[in-house]
Amino acid sequence: MTITSNTPMDPVLVHAYADNELDATSALGAAREIESSPELKAELDRTEALRTAIREHVAPEELPINLRTKIESSLGLTKPGNHPTWRALAASVVLALAIGSASTWFVTQQPPGDRTTTALVDSHIRALMAAQPADVMSSERHTVKPWFAGRLPVSPVVVDLTADGFPLIGGRVDVIATAPTPTLVYGRRKHIISVFATPDADGGKDAVRTVNGYNVVTWRSGGQSYWAVSDLNAAELQQFAQKFQAAS
Amino acid sequence: MGGDQDKARFQDVVMPHLADALTLARWISGNRTDAEDILQEACLRAYRGINGFAGGSPRAWVLTVVRNTAYTWLMRHRSPMLVSIEDLSATESAEIELTDGGADATGLTPEAELIAKADAEQLKCAIAALPLVFRETLVLRDVQGLNYREIADITGVPIGTVMSRLARARRHLFKAIGAKKQ
Repeated sequence: MTITSNTPMDPVLVHAYADNELDATSALGAAREIESSPELKAELDRTEALRTAIREHVAPEELPINLRTKIESSLGLTKPGNHPTWRALAASVVLALAIGSASTWFVTQQPPGDRTTTALVDSHIRALMAAQPADVMSSERHTVKPWFAGRLPVSPVVVDLTADGFPLIGGRVDVIATAPTPTLVYGRRKHIISVFATPDADGGKDAVRTVNGYNVVTWRSGGQSYWAVSDLNAAELQQFAQKFQAAS
Repeated sequence: MGGDQDKARFQDVVMPHLADALTLARWISGNRTDAEDILQEACLRAYRGINGFAGGSPRAWVLTVVRNTAYTWLMRHRSPMLVSIEDLSATESAEIELTDGGADATGLTPEAELIAKADAEQLKCAIAALPLVFRETLVLRDVQGLNYREIADITGVPIGTVMSRLARARRHLFKAIGAKKQ
């Protein structure tokens, strides 16, 4: 949208400005007008205050597992081998006892392309069960990045997304398919987001998928594949991925 | 029902956006129980119409289906008056001016600090009290984070209308939560 006039600015445009929906030229003009008008400035402040309050207090709905299951079964989406039944789960427990690792069983059941994803989701779940989701707990990226540099040959891009509502929590090293992998940990309300960086060959396109109830968003950047894993809803996780890419 | 291909397509296109769909249904219908019914019905529709998805944003497509289902559901289960958009032209044509829209009857101007301090209950009540078209536009933008183009596609109106609805919706909220006398 382009503003072309010398008349006083329409207050509605303050909202478009706050939403980042104006083109660069118009945004520049709007910023100038807002700066010089206390009324428009107050409108912008209110709009931003409201946005922050909504983000903090009005969370999107979570999809309950039983509703998901109901929908899947009503459409006949569940079939043997697609999702583990109780029988398969029981078998996995037996196998887990025998082999010593439940994830090995799941991994061998899946096509090769999904193995990395499953391994990452497993790592995320393990981290959630640990006392702390990260080995270095810091919201300061200048603390987290050097921490990796001392441990791994490649350190990941660490971005500050606090302003977007995704504060940095810290970092840890996971072992994925025998390779030590840097993992960044971000927060969103009470949700934890793990961001893994793996060699490029593993990654997919920007894609959303769901593994065992966790959402996974993948993208590529600077010769590496990035994977964001969380129980956060897919839309916000995608938003996170976009912000992350934009900031890196 | 349906081939494996349709099932796979549904898994790819629709399943990742169910929480989003539930959120929109919850705010259109006003409660979680009805939203779950609407979501199930919407999934059935989306599944039957999966071949109608011609690329583009899967999320916007799913939300469009859910919105249409929710409106049909409301027509069926509630008084049509509630869903009627007859009174909309009046609300929407009203000029948005800083002087009348910003302050309430007491003449107080809503303050950003007061708005920032609003609690969850206050916010949710104020959003729930918005007229339907303002409510869905605000929820799509400020709760779900869609851009104007996507909202215009989902709600079937021009971008300019999305912009003015959003401004009006926020004005209502400013009044409801930002200008209470202390």
